[in-house]
Amino acid sequence: MNSTWRVEIGAVFRKEWLNELRTRSGLISSLLFSVVAVVAIALAAFGRTPDPTVAAGLLWVTLVFSSVLALPRSFIVEEETGTADLLRLVARPHAVFWGKALFNLLQMLVTAALLSTLFLLLTSLPVTQSELLIASLFGGCAALAFAVTLCGALVAQAANRAALAGAIGVPLLLPLVLIAIGATRVSFGAGTMEGGLTSAIGLYGYALLMGSATPFLFAAVWKT
Amino acid sequence: MLRVDCLGKRYADRWIFRQLNFSLNGGDALVVVGPNGSGKSTLLRIIAGLIDPTEGAIEQPQGDPRTTTGFSALDMQVYSHLTVSEHLEITARLRGIAYDDNLLTRVGLQERKNQAAIELSSGMRARLKLALAIQSQPTLLLLDEPGAGLDETGRALLDQICEQQRQRGCLVVATNDPSERRLGTLELDLAS
Amino acid sequence: MMRWIFAIAVAFATLAAFLVPPAQSFREPELARIIFFHLPCAISTPVFFFFGSYLSFQYLRNRAIEWDVRAAAANKLGYILAVLTMLTGILFSKTQWGAWWQWDPRQTSFLLLLLLYAAYFALRASFTDANKRAANSAAYSCVGALAAFFLIFVFPRLPYVQQISFHPTNTIVNGGFDRTYSTVLSTLFILILVLCAWVYKLAVRASLLELKLQSYGELEIRGGDTAPTGVVRPIPLSQEGGTSAGRG
Repeated sequence: MNSTWRVEIGAVFRKEWLNELRTRSGLISSLLFSVVAVVAIALAAFGRTPDPTVAAGLLWVTLVFSSVLALPRSFIVEEETGTADLLRLVARPHAVFWGKALFNLLQMLVTAALLSTLFLLLTSLPVTQSELLIASLFGGCAALAFAVTLCGALVAQAANRAALAGAIGVPLLLPLVLIAIGATRVSFGAGTMEGGLTSAIGLYGYALLMGSATPFLFAAVWKT
Repeated sequence: MLRVDCLGKRYADRWIFRQLNFSLNGGDALVVVGPNGSGKSTLLRIIAGLIDPTEGAIEQPQGDPRTTTGFSALDMQVYSHLTVSEHLEITARLRGIAYDDNLLTRVGLQERKNQAAIELSSGMRARLKLALAIQSQPTLLLLDEPGAGLDETGRALLDQICEQQRQRGCLVVATNDPSERRLGTLELDLAS
Repeated sequence: MMRWIFAIAVAFATLAAFLVPPAQSFREPELARIIFFHLPCAISTPVFFFFGSYLSFQYLRNRAIEWDVRAAAANKLGYILAVLTMLTGILFSKTQWGAWWQWDPRQTSFLLLLLLYAAYFALRASFTDANKRAANSAAYSCVGALAAFFLIFVFPRLPYVQQISFHPTNTIVNGGFDRTYSTVLSTLFILILVLCAWVYKLAVRASLLELKLQSYGELEIRGGDTAPTGVVRPIPLSQEGGTSAGRG
């Protein structure tokens, strides 16, 4: 990446950062949802430690819903507040996408760190492969960030955009959930390491696929 | 510098305008007038590249439109929680140009550089939008209702900016205010 | 004439599906005949979804609305085929595996596929502007194809997933069906594909006609293909920047 792209992406990232710092609306709602969701799951389990595969599934479903709640806002708010045109005039589409996607990735990583820590605390689930857990969370968050950033852009000019973002984002992410469960369950002690590593590689593959395709698709719709 | 050929725009079953033809050279300043709904803002947004025309073609100035074209509109908003200087720094980086602090002095916002846009009056926000539009010293400047919210000092500033723009390139102003005809050398009436 | 030949071929093939000796590899061989319709639908579904994604990609390249019309038709047909696959699959699952739903990986894949493309149609329905609808749904169709590829070709073949799968793999390739059975299956597959291609063409033609009618209808309302504003050119203002000389 040459310095021009770095500067432009950095400028969008900085804009997102400053805005979030001063409003805290996105991160707060995402973190609050995460906490509430984890508490709800722990309550529903009646204090029992869930099966590793079930636990992995619950964790990733919570992460997916947390992401579709918070991340699409980055584009929806631009359209609602009337600032999208300014961005269209001064920024190149790829810079806009990468700046927002990287910020969303940061948001997701913070959310995932809090959510998974709280989840493990409340369910007393043992972690047998912590590196695998961290790796799968990172890869999964990357895929989530790319996919949901694009979904936010797709629905930003649509009717009923907030609900629609979730409606179109979740089906796109369910395949990710399938792979992620495969990796995360191994880190909770189920299955084989080989299966876990295969799934982790699959996660990064999905993230790479999303990261490759979504910026170009975004550029194709941004100025429509 | 700007050439518009047989331009037309339709929304649903209604043509807003059709068969628009004009070209502007350096020094030209076009004032677009017409009643509400005649397509003044739509025309400027099409020229700016924000929306596509239904038919026809536009030839814009050569070069990167981020720097060759400046646009300011009444319904275009700025970021409420960014300060004046942050707006200009970030847009300068996005455009790939150097940040010029003197711009704030030119538009009379030097003393408000660290104020968030939400704390500015509508007139000050209008000046900020003007500053963002002229930041890259564009060849083509598009202003939609530029005088709205401006006080007498602001209007004098607007006149100055438009005069400087004519020396640098060309200008298109869309307006409902008859007094803003003073900004132009050509007039386009979209009333049908 | 061709339609009659096709209709007769479908009738014969359907009859053959009920009359050929059943494949003994199934738990309930007679009740497994639904495979003659399930398998062709299952194979045709990704064909139309990926074709729809290709057409969506062409729209994003060319921005001609006809590509969007074709893409929507292909995805609609793919969706109908996916629903038929699911319904026939559920029946097969009950008779052969003892339960309507087994969370078999391929069943799961198709369920997620149905959700994915339901979202595509939901996205289309949320735009009133035709160009925005076309562009945004085309982008979703393209990214959805990546997810669909994974769901159909990758996920069911993962080692730990294959272990829990009820679906047999490579049955036809490994000679699990006898020659007659395979012939009837292949014939029905070709006929269903031809039928779907025909329905696709009709759907596209109808949609393109509707598009044309819409634009003619607008011209009729407006009294023909006239320019509402006429040819408009700028008028030089006086030096004092005052009055306009009128329209030229």
